[in-house]
Amino acid sequence: MRKGMIFVVVCMAMGLISTPSAWSKTKPIKIGINAPITGDIPKVGEGTKFAAQMWLEDVMADGGLTIGGKKYPVELVIEDNEAKAESAVKVATKMITEDEILVMVGPQASKQAVPAGEVANNYKTPMISPWSTNPDTTKERPYVFRACFLDPFQGPVIANFIKEEFNFKKAAVLYDVASDYPKGLAEFFKKAWEDLNGPGSVVAFESFTTKDTDFSSQLTKIKQSGAEFIFTPQYYNEVALIVQQAHELGFKAPIVGSDSWGSAETVKLCGKDCYGLFFSTHYAAAGAKGETKKFIDRYKEKHGYVPDDVAALTWDAMRLVETALVNCGKITGKIEKDRQCLRDALAKVKDFNGITGKMTFTEEGDPIKCAVVVRISEKGEFEFYKSVCP
Amino acid sequence: MEKKKFKMKRTNASQAPVPVRRKGLMRRWFSGIPLLGWFSGILVAVLLEHFLGDALTEVLGLPKIPVLFGFVTMLKKPALMPGSLVFIVLVYLIPVAVTARLGASAANAVAARLIRRSVGLSAGIHLLLLYACLHIWADVSAYRVLTLKLTLIAVMLTLSLNVINGYMGEFSCSHPGFMAVGAYVCSVFTVGLFVNDRIFGQALLPPFLAPYFFPVALILGGSAAAAAALFVAIPSFRTRGDYLAIISLAFMFIVKSVIENLEIIGGPRGLGSQPDLAGLPAVFVWTVLCVWIINNFVRSTLGKALNAVRDDELAAEAMTVNTRRTKMTAFLFAAFWAGVAGGLFAHVLRYVNPGTFGIQRLAEVLAMVYFGGLNSVYGSILGAVGLNLLGEALRPLELFKWILIPLLLILVMIFRPKGLIAFKEFDPKRVLMPRFRSE
Repeated sequence: MRKGMIFVVVCMAMGLISTPSAWSKTKPIKIGINAPITGDIPKVGEGTKFAAQMWLEDVMADGGLTIGGKKYPVELVIEDNEAKAESAVKVATKMITEDEILVMVGPQASKQAVPAGEVANNYKTPMISPWSTNPDTTKERPYVFRACFLDPFQGPVIANFIKEEFNFKKAAVLYDVASDYPKGLAEFFKKAWEDLNGPGSVVAFESFTTKDTDFSSQLTKIKQSGAEFIFTPQYYNEVALIVQQAHELGFKAPIVGSDSWGSAETVKLCGKDCYGLFFSTHYAAAGAKGETKKFIDRYKEKHGYVPDDVAALTWDAMRLVETALVNCGKITGKIEKDRQCLRDALAKVKDFNGITGKMTFTEEGDPIKCAVVVRISEKGEFEFYKSVCP
Repeated sequence: MEKKKFKMKRTNASQAPVPVRRKGLMRRWFSGIPLLGWFSGILVAVLLEHFLGDALTEVLGLPKIPVLFGFVTMLKKPALMPGSLVFIVLVYLIPVAVTARLGASAANAVAARLIRRSVGLSAGIHLLLLYACLHIWADVSAYRVLTLKLTLIAVMLTLSLNVINGYMGEFSCSHPGFMAVGAYVCSVFTVGLFVNDRIFGQALLPPFLAPYFFPVALILGGSAAAAAALFVAIPSFRTRGDYLAIISLAFMFIVKSVIENLEIIGGPRGLGSQPDLAGLPAVFVWTVLCVWIINNFVRSTLGKALNAVRDDELAAEAMTVNTRRTKMTAFLFAAFWAGVAGGLFAHVLRYVNPGTFGIQRLAEVLAMVYFGGLNSVYGSILGAVGLNLLGEALRPLELFKWILIPLLLILVMIFRPKGLIAFKEFDPKRVLMPRFRSE
């Protein structure tokens, strides 16, 4: 009992002593990072965290952000949303009301970004989701932005590319019916392809469910349908299985993918089977130039692997925040006013030069930007092949 | 049971020499305080925080009032630890202890008078006081409101699963499925009626009617979940144990798949834009209703029949317990409350997607039930509140959180295999009674 009392008294004394030091400095600008550090997709959370921290290093090396001729220190509030919708909402609420962040970057996956966007919009706090492709994330939410292109854009990009490159007529699609992103993209692709080649040109539209590992029945059907290529907008673990199984069944035609292929793991798991295949994505790591290359080299040196698209998009989101803050001109210290100013500046961003391409925001908060078609080279690298703009 | 009691006595005796004196002092100091006394103590503390919290944080150099008893602040910024501790001691510990102690005799007198008047009145006043405490506490920050709402929903969910897994002793894994059915039916009802939506078209009724229809929506969601529970209840007549677990697990996956393939309610994209109806009062009222009704249910004859079925189904049947009816009732009843919890959950988040109701949710609910204690209302409340707050408080630890919490569960399973407070009856009358000093 007495020990406890002494402890409490000591704590009180320390609390009182350590008080005044925090007051003299300028209040830092706080940026919230709402990332899935644990849960289903920890690699995504890691990429987000690393990219954001790299950006912070740059800023702090300059001694802070210069806004309207005054330097402001920057602080990141990184929180884990466990890849769960309700945790993402909790984290967003906490950051906005407790930590009083100026802007939130993330969440990444749509199932967290849609409900978290609602929170951000209600509290009139700008939010940029680097990776969420669901239209609902930004729809009718003036305070919510994203840094990636949407599925309705990516579908036609791939269809056009294949038409021009190979002049194929018959397509097959294999996708996960239970997952939001592949399903949406598969449908957009189908529509685009049929617009190009007439109805019935998608000869096989096969689906499976998340965590399936045997695709032989679907692939046999596809093979018998006489399709000239397969489009499969799946994640890296399934891509490897699909490609390998297709080759085992003797399917020799190309297999084409989407931005979900753009993980370092794809080639690791898939090996030689994936060499020479194409997919559309946000940026290409091999053969990158200028700022993009600088980012990749730095990231690789620091963390030991080539950053995937999440990291690159997060980096762009952070740079967008920086640009908007500088454009905003001044920080008043009144959080509502600054958030409003930042949102207006973000909405006005034009021709922003990101490492994933030039961006201009539309009314909805979605960027107009180019997609990149990547070829997996014989060395297993993601090689820039072609840039496709809207 | 006999054996367990004996064991507990022995451990108490063997630990006796050192801690007993301190415990004795604390116990003497805090004995004889009725629930009413504690509640008024907490009320004083939250009022203090509400009015003086900001001034105190300024003096202590804290950026804001420590939101979850200082846990988050301390883990994120260890430098602020002394300040947070002082805050907790000054605002919570001392006021609660002092008010509860000094007001004990007055509180006892009031409690005695209330309980003599009627138990219902006494319970009502206690609940009002509890709500006042929660409301004032949560009023400080929107984050507290959200955490509190989700915690209360978790209490409902845990308690309803306890009816099947604890009281009836079947291992059912279908709870996320029931919750999903409730969440979706309730959302479709409110979104269809009150929101201009691209799926269901124009709102059919003006939005000001929405709060009045919300209970209807929740009951509808609960009933739909109960109807869906037939798919698990009927097989449970013939199967037990592992087999029922598999069937109920299959049910959960079926529900998830069905929703994923129903394009009209959003498919895997999920369903959003529910009207903002689940405020703290609504969630609190439904949770109280849930606890009250489930507690009455498990203390009724039918509830005792559940225990009979758990202990020995054949013997129960021989002793004229209608096992089929019992199982059917238990499943439908538990599913109803899971459905209501799902409906509230959907309206708190204002977005649902089928991925939310998967195996991870199942693991969470099961953990809360087994951590808190089987066959006990206290246990369910403790389990849900404990794991929820712990999960929230340890969030800054990121990966280590997932080591600490499972470790805690393992320790609980080793030292208290049936959960923290298992097999304890919740008798409202006894809880509300005045207490007199022991010793």
